[in-house]
Amino acid sequence: MQLNLQKMFKNLRLQAFLGIAGILLLFKLFIPVNDSVVLMAISDVLVLLTLASLILFFFESISSKNINPLSLVMNVGILNVVLFCLITFSGSIFNLFFDNITERFQNPGLLLSLATFIYIFIILACISYIFLAFKELYFLKQKRNVSVYFNTMVMFIALASFSNVFLKYEELNFVKSTFLIISIILIIINSLKISWIAFIVKKDKISLLILSVVISTLFVVNLSNSQDAGVHGEMLLSFSPLLTKFMQIMMIYGAIYFSILFFTTLFHLPTAEAFDRKAQEVSSLQYFSKLITEVLDFNDLAETVTDIATKVCNAHASWIVLQEGTEMRTLANKNIGFIDADIINEYVFKSGKTEKKFNTFFMTVKKYGDTEKLSENYSSIAIAPLIAHNELKGFLLAAKINDFIFDEEDKNALDTFSDYASVAIENSRLLEESIEKERLEKELDVAREIQRKILPSKSPAIDNLSIASVFIPAFEVGGDYYDFFELGNNKLGFVIADVSGKGIQAAFVMAEIKGIFESLTKMIESPKEILIKANDILKRALERKTFVSAAYGIIDSKKKVLKIARAGHCPIILLRNGKVKNLRPSGIGLGLCFTSRFAETMEEIEIKLQDDDAIVLYTDGITEAKNKKMEDFGDNLFEQALLECVQETSEGIANKVMREITDFTKNNSQHDDITLVILKWNEKFKSNGEQEWQNSTPQLKTRVKSV
Amino acid sequence: MAEFNTSVKDQGEISIVNLKGFLDAHTASILENTLSNQIEKNKYKIVVNFSNLTYISSAGLGVFMAFIEKVRENGGDIKLSSMSDKVFNIFDLLGFPLLYEIFNSEEEAVKKFTE
Repeated sequence: MQLNLQKMFKNLRLQAFLGIAGILLLFKLFIPVNDSVVLMAISDVLVLLTLASLILFFFESISSKNINPLSLVMNVGILNVVLFCLITFSGSIFNLFFDNITERFQNPGLLLSLATFIYIFIILACISYIFLAFKELYFLKQKRNVSVYFNTMVMFIALASFSNVFLKYEELNFVKSTFLIISIILIIINSLKISWIAFIVKKDKISLLILSVVISTLFVVNLSNSQDAGVHGEMLLSFSPLLTKFMQIMMIYGAIYFSILFFTTLFHLPTAEAFDRKAQEVSSLQYFSKLITEVLDFNDLAETVTDIATKVCNAHASWIVLQEGTEMRTLANKNIGFIDADIINEYVFKSGKTEKKFNTFFMTVKKYGDTEKLSENYSSIAIAPLIAHNELKGFLLAAKINDFIFDEEDKNALDTFSDYASVAIENSRLLEESIEKERLEKELDVAREIQRKILPSKSPAIDNLSIASVFIPAFEVGGDYYDFFELGNNKLGFVIADVSGKGIQAAFVMAEIKGIFESLTKMIESPKEILIKANDILKRALERKTFVSAAYGIIDSKKKVLKIARAGHCPIILLRNGKVKNLRPSGIGLGLCFTSRFAETMEEIEIKLQDDDAIVLYTDGITEAKNKKMEDFGDNLFEQALLECVQETSEGIANKVMREITDFTKNNSQHDDITLVILKWNEKFKSNGEQEWQNSTPQLKTRVKSV
Repeated sequence: MAEFNTSVKDQGEISIVNLKGFLDAHTASILENTLSNQIEKNKYKIVVNFSNLTYISSAGLGVFMAFIEKVRENGGDIKLSSMSDKVFNIFDLLGFPLLYEIFNSEEEAVKKFTE
């Protein structure tokens, strides 16, 4: 709606301008030249109206844009060149088409009138634009409302111009001169009010300096040229004395304004850099708030930090070096390659200065020998430590090139900025860490779930054998695995294994191991052969640095015989006659060796079972359970605990050992999975069927269950 | 938490890697970097000195497995020395003595290379 209204007004202005211009054209065509003052006055009123409507029309198009003073000045310059050309070449062009041009002005034909009209109109357009440009420049960045000064000036310029109509009355000359002089005085006063110059950056100021000299010269040349009694002067004067005067005054205005502009710019030049910096600092402050919103993405934040860093200290390049463990990581390079940054980093950190300083400091690259390796001519480096929570997190570096150096103000700016930056970086890092932690926890949940499903949920029911097992998962899932295999013919296979490493990876290997044993036990009986075969299969499946310690055994309850083989696992303990016996047949861990050596070194031992024998299987989670002083539970305490309960049932033994471990590790967290399996050979024991038992229940006390 | 670091000393073409502190799943990457650095420099004769190592976990043991093949293919070896009883016991359980030469002292290990 408003847009339509605006458009309508614009159309209205255009229509008004075209209407008046049309009337003027008709007027000029019918009454080309006359000496009557009244007619002349009417003609000039029409010219004045045309001028006014044209200015209004242009005003619309100029003020709707965001004005850049430099481009306005540029436009004025270009229009001046156009005027210069028109004035200089009008004589020769008109002479080309019309003979005796100067005489024909007294009695021009239709064609000449039309040509004159067009010529004058081009000049009219140029002048009205120049006038508007002056007006815009005048009001630009003015802090007070100064329109009254400008309006007064415009009024006197109009009066001075209009008084020119009464050219013939010599006695009125003093009126014309008075108006002209007042106008010029007002022009000088108003030209002194150039406040926009301070807001221009140094580079633009220099170009403005050159432009203002050229333009003011052009104005002076155009002024003197248009005064001459050439074709232009004659034509203009006969067309409209008002316009002649107005153009003259505009040329004077231009000459004055741009001369003053030249000097003002000249005086502003020495302080230009300081002003630029202040302006830069103010805008940097706005950037600081941007830092806060960008903490969500660490990389974006780092980029922003280096970007602002180059701005606050007028540096060419900037980058961040973060301390990560013992390593330094370079990131967010701005205007500098990684190779250059690394060369400078090496120089900076080898100097040892970074260890002592807690404020921004400077170094000169020149003192360093390897400058030829650098792709740019870096001269000076500023190093700002990034400190958050009283801890050094890294450094913000900035570099200048081509012999520019950092000064005290740069130091202050960088100091302030690096404070903000380090807090933002630290916050972002913490945020990222907590997200990562959450992800890991999710992953661990998955690993725990896998583990829970892999471990047996019930234990086999075998006559003469009572089985108890305890499994306590660590927070970070270890890779403990145990299982039982009912092989028929009163035979029971059992396995205990520990995958190296932790977390989801260990859990997956564990699942693989379970699959391998499930299938192998169905085909092979000998524990030794099973382990050798398992190693063969794992050759294809395991990562080079992952391995599995395992022990596999088989109990023949009819023959009362136990056969075991061990692949790098903890010894199997035999509790017999109140004594602890470590069964430790030779054998390399699964996945450690894929040559024939594995099979060659693998031993299998056979033991005749006696009544009340107990076989204890465990993982190093038991012997390496730690107390607050980080001491291990160890083999000795483990054996002691076992000896104190040799007479107990399998459940009793498991409970006793777990109690001891709980006491020992009181107030300390559990680092590794704990697995303990007790198989008690009791010839009077009769199985009462399969019993379910739970594992991986969260509380230690309730975890001990048995069958 | 537990600290771990390594230091490398060159003795002719033999690199002697000293381990210090706790070597577990979290610190294993430090040793991994150290060993891969040696291999990058084509130094395949490596003696690892365990005298200052207080603890090693299974993940720590895995590191040695990751490099041994490459080292031996290039005519070198990783020899282990100066283990405490506790550390040795862990190596021993897994059967490492069957795969690696383990010496009581660094000098013996170095001597074995020069023979």
